[in-house]
Amino acid sequence: MPKWENRCKIALSGVGYSKVTRSADVPLAAHALEAVRGAVAASGLEMGDIDGLSTYPELPATGHAEVDGISIVSVNCMMAMLKLPNLTWHMQVGSNNIGGAVQQAANALLAGVCKYAVVWRAMHNPKGTYQNLPGAQAAGASQFTGPFGFGGPGQHMAVAYTRYLERHNQAREKMVTLALTQRQHTQHNPHAFFYGTPLTREDYFNARMVAYPFCLYDCDIPVQGAVAVVLTTAERARDLQPKPAYLAGYGQRLHFEVAGRIGSLADYMEGGASSAKLTWERSGFSPKDVDVAQIYDGFSASVIYGLESYGFCKRGEALDFIQGGRIGLDGELPLNTFGGSLGTGRIHGLWHIIEGALQASGRAGARQIKDVNVSFVGASAPIVTGTTFIFTREPY
Amino acid sequence: MSDWSQVTRPVPVPNEWTRPFWEAARRGSLELQRCQSCHSFQHPPYATCVKCVSVDLKFEAVRGVGSIYAYTIMYHTGDRRFAPAVPYASIIVELDDAPGALMAGNLLGAPYTEAKVGRRVEVVFEKLNDDITLPQFKLAASSTATTG
Repeated sequence: MPKWENRCKIALSGVGYSKVTRSADVPLAAHALEAVRGAVAASGLEMGDIDGLSTYPELPATGHAEVDGISIVSVNCMMAMLKLPNLTWHMQVGSNNIGGAVQQAANALLAGVCKYAVVWRAMHNPKGTYQNLPGAQAAGASQFTGPFGFGGPGQHMAVAYTRYLERHNQAREKMVTLALTQRQHTQHNPHAFFYGTPLTREDYFNARMVAYPFCLYDCDIPVQGAVAVVLTTAERARDLQPKPAYLAGYGQRLHFEVAGRIGSLADYMEGGASSAKLTWERSGFSPKDVDVAQIYDGFSASVIYGLESYGFCKRGEALDFIQGGRIGLDGELPLNTFGGSLGTGRIHGLWHIIEGALQASGRAGARQIKDVNVSFVGASAPIVTGTTFIFTREPY
Repeated sequence: MSDWSQVTRPVPVPNEWTRPFWEAARRGSLELQRCQSCHSFQHPPYATCVKCVSVDLKFEAVRGVGSIYAYTIMYHTGDRRFAPAVPYASIIVELDDAPGALMAGNLLGAPYTEAKVGRRVEVVFEKLNDDITLPQFKLAASSTATTG
């Protein structure tokens, strides 16, 4: 396949963050607004310049009501808050998670139907138990999983992980390296929930088990918060305040999944491989060209599936690949350099995309990796909603 | 051994695609959806054959023996309905007759530590009420892990 004709024609400009809190002290809309205003200001734009809006508003905490402005922040909610005088395009995606919203915004910019698009991800942590499953009935796809105690996504990923560990003769204890390395990276990210909170080897091994093989520190912590980005064309981005990060290519998982059929390791591997293949072909790069990687880590095993299915190492080897300092800030493949979701809290993959762009454009501050040319992002678990991206320092 | 006596399982709600599965289970028979064109089994039931896209699908009986494909041991008590049973094994089973058709269940009648990938299991039926019976699993009579 030839390289993408629109390679490096879109750029990620300013980024913004809300305060990340454990619980919902203010409506989620306030978090989203803070992040969006931050991204627009960081770009050196006025709100009146923004003419495109996109998000993925889903609430992953099942069993809680979706109330716009409180537990989700839809495009409609943002339109109501911002009252943009020059709005020409908006899109709320229902699949491919937040990476899909970024891709839609890039497509709209390429189509010329907007000039400066804002994408945000706002995540709610409801009061009480996160997965609220009081129902006496299991309808739809859950009729084949719910009666057996399969509740949240953690258990769904945990079953594939036992398959992985036992078929590859691997040990879950090796994951401590990922948890500790990412928590160290978190200490260079003042926006992260666990900034200022170290994690020790003893903490990891003494942690309570949640859904074996996942202990507490294999799971990202539910938080309330939002992040946002401004996307525009490469040409326009060069006139804005921040140094642009150029979008060299992207991909989506092409492998389909059957609802209620859980535990399949192949679904993760084929999902990730299909998305990465598109991204490598469109960008013209390969895993050996990558200087820094952000790989979605809502649950730790997602990183392992990502490293293997995207092609950074062979199947069954990722738990060994991450050892020996390779994924540290001065390692061969610095990984989740902002701390990942395990460090920031559960904000989904837009923060991975932000970090990928910051590293590509030399804007990552104390955690900046030297001489980054090619920056890779896997923006959600390789299954179902998987998307991948490559950002570059120059419009190669 | 996990104590299931205090657990109130959510009751499956059959729909037009899944009703034959639950009606068979009520009769103590394990029947999975089978494509009449390419003859592959699939589970959960789907509107079309996920292999060849045929819509000619029927439910056919399978022998309820297979291997644990994957599992998790649940410790978290966030789901109050299942809290009395923790830790418990939720397993995914691949039946010998239906490769690729993955069925969820619990490992009953054995300590949760017996759940291992490849271990042989066989179906047992757990009646929830007059309408719904769950196909569940116990270790097979001669249970040894396979390399499958």
